[in-house]
Amino acid sequence: MLAALLAAAVVVVLVGNSLLDYVFLDTIPARATLYGLVAVALIALATYVAVRAADRDPATRRRHLIRAGVLLGLAAMLWLLISDLFVFAQSAGPVVAAVCALVCVPTTAFGLWIVRRIDRNEKEPWRLVLVAAAWGAVVATSLVIWAETFWGAIAINTLVPGPGLDASNAFSAGLFEELGKGAAVLLLFLVMRNEFDDVVDGIVYGAAVGLGFNFMETITYMTNLYAIFSPEGAGGVAAGFQWYARQVLGLFMGHATYTALVGAGIGIARQLPSPRHKVVAIIAGFLVAIAAHFSWDAWLTFFPIETSLFGLVEVHLRTIIMTGPFTAGVIVLLALGLRNESRALHDQLRQEAALGAGAVLPAEVEILAAPWRRFGERLRALDKGGLQAYVRLARLQTAQLDLAMERWHRERREIDTPLEAEQQLRNEILTLRQRAAF
Amino acid sequence: MSVGASDPVRTLYRTLLAYAAFAVVIFIAGAVEYAHFEPFHLNAGPHAKVVGVYSYDPASKTTKGQDRDTFSRGDQFAAVVDWSGLPDTITVEAAWFDSFENVVGRVGPGVPSALRDQTIVPAEVPEGLKYHLPGQYVFVVERLDNGRPVEVLGRRVVYVERT
Repeated sequence: MLAALLAAAVVVVLVGNSLLDYVFLDTIPARATLYGLVAVALIALATYVAVRAADRDPATRRRHLIRAGVLLGLAAMLWLLISDLFVFAQSAGPVVAAVCALVCVPTTAFGLWIVRRIDRNEKEPWRLVLVAAAWGAVVATSLVIWAETFWGAIAINTLVPGPGLDASNAFSAGLFEELGKGAAVLLLFLVMRNEFDDVVDGIVYGAAVGLGFNFMETITYMTNLYAIFSPEGAGGVAAGFQWYARQVLGLFMGHATYTALVGAGIGIARQLPSPRHKVVAIIAGFLVAIAAHFSWDAWLTFFPIETSLFGLVEVHLRTIIMTGPFTAGVIVLLALGLRNESRALHDQLRQEAALGAGAVLPAEVEILAAPWRRFGERLRALDKGGLQAYVRLARLQTAQLDLAMERWHRERREIDTPLEAEQQLRNEILTLRQRAAF
Repeated sequence: MSVGASDPVRTLYRTLLAYAAFAVVIFIAGAVEYAHFEPFHLNAGPHAKVVGVYSYDPASKTTKGQDRDTFSRGDQFAAVVDWSGLPDTITVEAAWFDSFENVVGRVGPGVPSALRDQTIVPAEVPEGLKYHLPGQYVFVVERLDNGRPVEVLGRRVVYVERT
């Protein structure tokens, strides 16, 4: 119910944003946000189809995933096309926009791959990671454009230009962008609770949303600056610098960090028993993310960059000094979360082995508890039985860890699924074990 | 299991609360900065009249044509200020800010009577560029207190188109 209300609120804000843009704000690409509703509808449909795929048998799941993938692809392309046509195409041109998008794909894909890999015990499904990134790229950007533009229009007509105006605009960016991105993590938490285990998962989903947002924002800045500086003969340099600053230097130290903080709050709330503590944790996550984003936007001008070679060093130092502490904060939460998770899984695997049900054998406990040893076992399977053996053993290990995770949540009274579900998992593991035998 | 003192999730929760406390410090610093540069109590009351924004001829240093809200990147333009309505008890300046919020034209600071001959304030193309930046240009007449702008007495926003 809460998820449905949140989703309805998001749709209402999106429609309101687009209509208000179109009617009142002639200085922004109003038509883009209006026509962008089609892309948003496609994203919503893709999300629905992808979520449905989770509960289907393998045959229909594949069909649903393909449909969701096609819808997401269409939405992304449509959004790019709209942005390109109505915002930058006239000056930067469609070729420049396409090149900007293409050069951002490998870096963002690398970021998503890393973010998913850090969840070493139970990797999140690619479909949810990609849905999170797509939300960040398309939905979150659509959610914030009107609010930020409206706020900016009021500020520029009422405040004294300078640091006060910067602080006001920075607060607007921090507040609206983190709310827009955080709504995705909150929806995933409410709708896909069984894929949202703890603080680690929250950080993974949050960072994925941030990487998606960063992808779209980078394209926007690259094409914009190309259009501005190409008449001066420096369009390529300006766009290239934006790419480096946002897709290399700021890939993790920027939106990924901010939204990971929102995700961390939601992930911690997932494991707290009291509703009051849950709410406090979620609010705290949003507060930290907004503050981190605010501090970058508001105080960026206090670290001016020289137009000499030393300026290159200063650009790196500025990012490390201003965003580094927040990224370090995320890493601390991640390390604590991974340690908790590993210890809990180890404990649950031991208990499961002691049951003698055959789902986890005593000899497997130490292997399953250590990611590198799991990987070593899979390599041995690859050596003995080829790729098929590797994949089958990987599925078996994943199912065994799922069982341990289920047991952990049950022990902490964090799930309400019946005990039979656990037994069903054991039966599936026994079947997978037979298939994996080599 | 309840969240007791030994629960590791409690450690995570407390760490997050510590971060949130730091976040509050950042917000307070932001609010102090905002209040410092936007001092609500320092409102003198007078309003400067910005007559208009016109095309500008740098050679003759004169304006021409109608008052306009939009210009192209290659256009030269300037604001015209009427200083006569402002008392000499205050220090003022007029400035153009481009879409990157850089100052690209300024007159003052000084008392209004000392600026009587400088009614035209052109927006200059940033150094090293051939054209104006696209986007919003803001022209403000500001009152200064101890050398710091504390109040906008007159304002005009124009738009420089991309093409």
